[in-house]
Amino acid sequence: MLNDVSTRRIFLQRGLTLLAAGGSIPTFLDNTALAMMHAADGALIQQASGKDGKILVIVQLSGGNDGLNTIVPYADDAYHRGRPALAHKASDVIKIDDYIGLHPNLAPIKALFDDDMMTIVQGVGYPNPNRSHFRSMDIWHSAEPEREAPATGWLGRYFDNTCDGTDPHTGVSIGETLPLAMKGARITPLSFEKPENYKYAGRDRKGYEKVNDIGMPTPGRAEPVAPKGKIEVATADDQLQFLTRTAMDAQVSSDTIQKLAKNYQTSSQYPGGEYGQGLRTIAAMIAGQLPTRVYYVSLGGFDTHANQRGRHEQLMQQFAQGVAAFWQDMKRQENTDRVLMMTFSEFGRRVEQNASGGTDHGAAAPMMFFGKSVKSGVIGKHPSLTQLDQGDLRYNIDFREAYATVLQQWLDSPSKPVLGQQFKPLSILRA
Amino acid sequence: MPRLHPNLQPYNPAADGTFDSVKAAHLLNRAGFGGRADEISKVIKLGPIKAVDWLLDFPDAPAEEQSKTDVPDLSEVEGYPRTFAERRKLFNGKSPDERQMLQQKLNMVNRQAVGATVNWWLKRMVDGPYPLQEKLSLFWHGHFTTSARDERSAWLMWQQNELLRRQGAGNFKEFVRQVSRDPAMLDYLNNSQNRKAHPNENYARELMELFTLGIGNYTEKDIKEAARAFTGWAHDGDAYIYRSFDHDKGAKAFFGRTGNFDGDDVIDIILQQKACAPYIAGRLWSFFVYENPEPDLMASLGTLLKESKWDLRPVLQAMLTSKAFYGSRAVGTQIKSPVQLVVGTIRLLDVEMPDARRLSGALDQMGQMPLMPPNVKGWPGGRNWINTSTLFVRYNTALFLAGGAGPVTGGKLKRAGISRDKNPRAKDPLAIARGGSAEQIVDEWVSRLIQRPISLSKRQTLVETLASRTDDQNAVRSMIQLIVSMPEYQLC
Repeated sequence: MLNDVSTRRIFLQRGLTLLAAGGSIPTFLDNTALAMMHAADGALIQQASGKDGKILVIVQLSGGNDGLNTIVPYADDAYHRGRPALAHKASDVIKIDDYIGLHPNLAPIKALFDDDMMTIVQGVGYPNPNRSHFRSMDIWHSAEPEREAPATGWLGRYFDNTCDGTDPHTGVSIGETLPLAMKGARITPLSFEKPENYKYAGRDRKGYEKVNDIGMPTPGRAEPVAPKGKIEVATADDQLQFLTRTAMDAQVSSDTIQKLAKNYQTSSQYPGGEYGQGLRTIAAMIAGQLPTRVYYVSLGGFDTHANQRGRHEQLMQQFAQGVAAFWQDMKRQENTDRVLMMTFSEFGRRVEQNASGGTDHGAAAPMMFFGKSVKSGVIGKHPSLTQLDQGDLRYNIDFREAYATVLQQWLDSPSKPVLGQQFKPLSILRA
Repeated sequence: MPRLHPNLQPYNPAADGTFDSVKAAHLLNRAGFGGRADEISKVIKLGPIKAVDWLLDFPDAPAEEQSKTDVPDLSEVEGYPRTFAERRKLFNGKSPDERQMLQQKLNMVNRQAVGATVNWWLKRMVDGPYPLQEKLSLFWHGHFTTSARDERSAWLMWQQNELLRRQGAGNFKEFVRQVSRDPAMLDYLNNSQNRKAHPNENYARELMELFTLGIGNYTEKDIKEAARAFTGWAHDGDAYIYRSFDHDKGAKAFFGRTGNFDGDDVIDIILQQKACAPYIAGRLWSFFVYENPEPDLMASLGTLLKESKWDLRPVLQAMLTSKAFYGSRAVGTQIKSPVQLVVGTIRLLDVEMPDARRLSGALDQMGQMPLMPPNVKGWPGGRNWINTSTLFVRYNTALFLAGGAGPVTGGKLKRAGISRDKNPRAKDPLAIARGGSAEQIVDEWVSRLIQRPISLSKRQTLVETLASRTDDQNAVRSMIQLIVSMPEYQLC
């Protein structure tokens, strides 16, 4: 067990903490240090991102973004036929090539494309597309389309496989609930909506820290590991340790995040709201050299069943402004080549508009990747607008191929243990 | 009769430790939402057997039958169509714009009615007549899951909630039959679209995987055949209907038997499978006693369930009076669900119940919005409740209920109009242990709120907080706020 270098490293770190605690070591620390070594055994421990490591930023477009009006196939008659009231005129779109162009409000993003910092992956989806928001979101998050009630997400499993869990900042999600994608069986990333609210609200801060053992040596982080064939038993003490550990993580990260967010100076103009301000917080955290590898932020409101035009235009503008502000910041921070941004939505929308000037739930849609590390351009064939599956675009690229690319070529992690099978990586990133 | 598993042997105070306030509080936590001092005294007086008899003494009847007035306020959706046919009539002849406006209006009133149902339910958990009945309803809600998401009708959600109340301690076989005809369930798991020509396997799959047998105890073929048996079981937007023309009347081969089975036959056959009773016993045990029960314990409890001909009361009785229920693996080991935390805090502090619509943001952020479980598997519970974000929300919500002010994580409470001046009416914290020393006051509040001893050093911290200000309301209130901000308070 101790021949594993990284395990030993953790043990040494832990051992020093124990020593520093002197005579007041709670007895449970022995157990947890042991349990932690078990858990770390065989895991591929990675270095944290810190100052130099690679960082992934996920931007989720919630509600089912209309892919066809984002990356617009302006040269296709079927597009204009299906959407007499919603189609963007060829003269309005920002052309990428002689078939597709960007939504008129995505000009700030076109600048990134021209700067060789953007890849569009067309026609991404999965077999037997599900048109329920919740179900399809679960599928994208878990990357397990067959599992009815998934318990972990693809990024969570990546954390489980590669992180020792000693730092609470491994993954950070901006939003009021932790997305399934980030949830691991062992590792639970941080999540908060606004940095200023991510804190204890009571007045007696000192008393609170005392009754939560904050500042005491950290109890081990690994979950109790039951010997093979034995049932896992959690005693009241185990539960208390687990809660205390989480309380410590919460407090440590709360202090860090608030300080970084408050003191961050930038001239980038981020849009208001959770999405824009979330991106700003992420930029602050990256500047603060946190060891975080994955950040997650969402922009909602894409469920445009009625009167889509104005609403979607507004959303596109907000989306583009956020992305552009973030990358200006990354340029200033000189972090453009170690940050990769990926966008997705749970599904695209139907080719034909509906009777309410909107579009209904669809299937395949484009994904976007940003950063200096991408091979700028367009990947994949655009799905046919006439050969449809129940009125929807057929996918050409399985989203798990994109995930495999990110896992293997960006996060330097094998993808099969995370995705359950081997998917062929796409040619998104520079070698 | 086979011998009972040793853990299921009755708890014997002489051998297993006195039935004291820690144990009485434990019973009231698990079989309800926490006990106040007077309730704990009452339970001690009754003793462990009679206390469980008392808790289980409720009518297997819906709330509406128990009291015509103690029901959710669904007036928002009153007068709007319930059935699909009425709906179509209302939409008929309207322009697309009018339809859209109407649809938005319907969605809005429906959401309000769902909110009113949650509000009523939480209130009933706080001060309703039968805490165990509501605890069971909450358990079954996470078992026979249905969500009000996707604009599911508030009427249907309320009907299902009543079904859980009516059958929660009744006969499990009858329960499954009724759930299989429950409109909200038929809607949620798409059985209304399960037709002879195009079978939809969703309900048949979850019936076996989650509701009765557990994964791995059936084949894909069993699912296909069971789905055929449930074809034609549908609803009209308001009530169960059987569509004979959609029902597949052909022979089905199911678990080694062949016949023209319908849904009830399939349920009968499923309940004869060896895996069924232990699976249900295990689900109950995990919720009420401890997680990951031993397989032989589940088998033994399952045998009990079969011997009772699927009546749940005798099984609940056995669980709640067992040696293991009061053992070290059970007492104080459960991470409170967000509902338990909120309802329990309101009960234990004896404060007025705030409008649940004001608490819904916090419940949502803590991960348990009643009537909106995350998916068909319900709430996974246990340590899944806890992450750094939910822990702050839990602390801050309890603080708020304990008369604390200040920002509440996520800002949703604020958006919902909760501010300092709208705090729940806090009682005079000096009324308890008035005139006592700091130690006495701390001990009294710890025993009321955490209900188990805490470490000496933490007790000392609380005593120091109070110091000599034992007759200062604000000092005592601050001390109480610290108690509900302790990791210990997250457990019951």
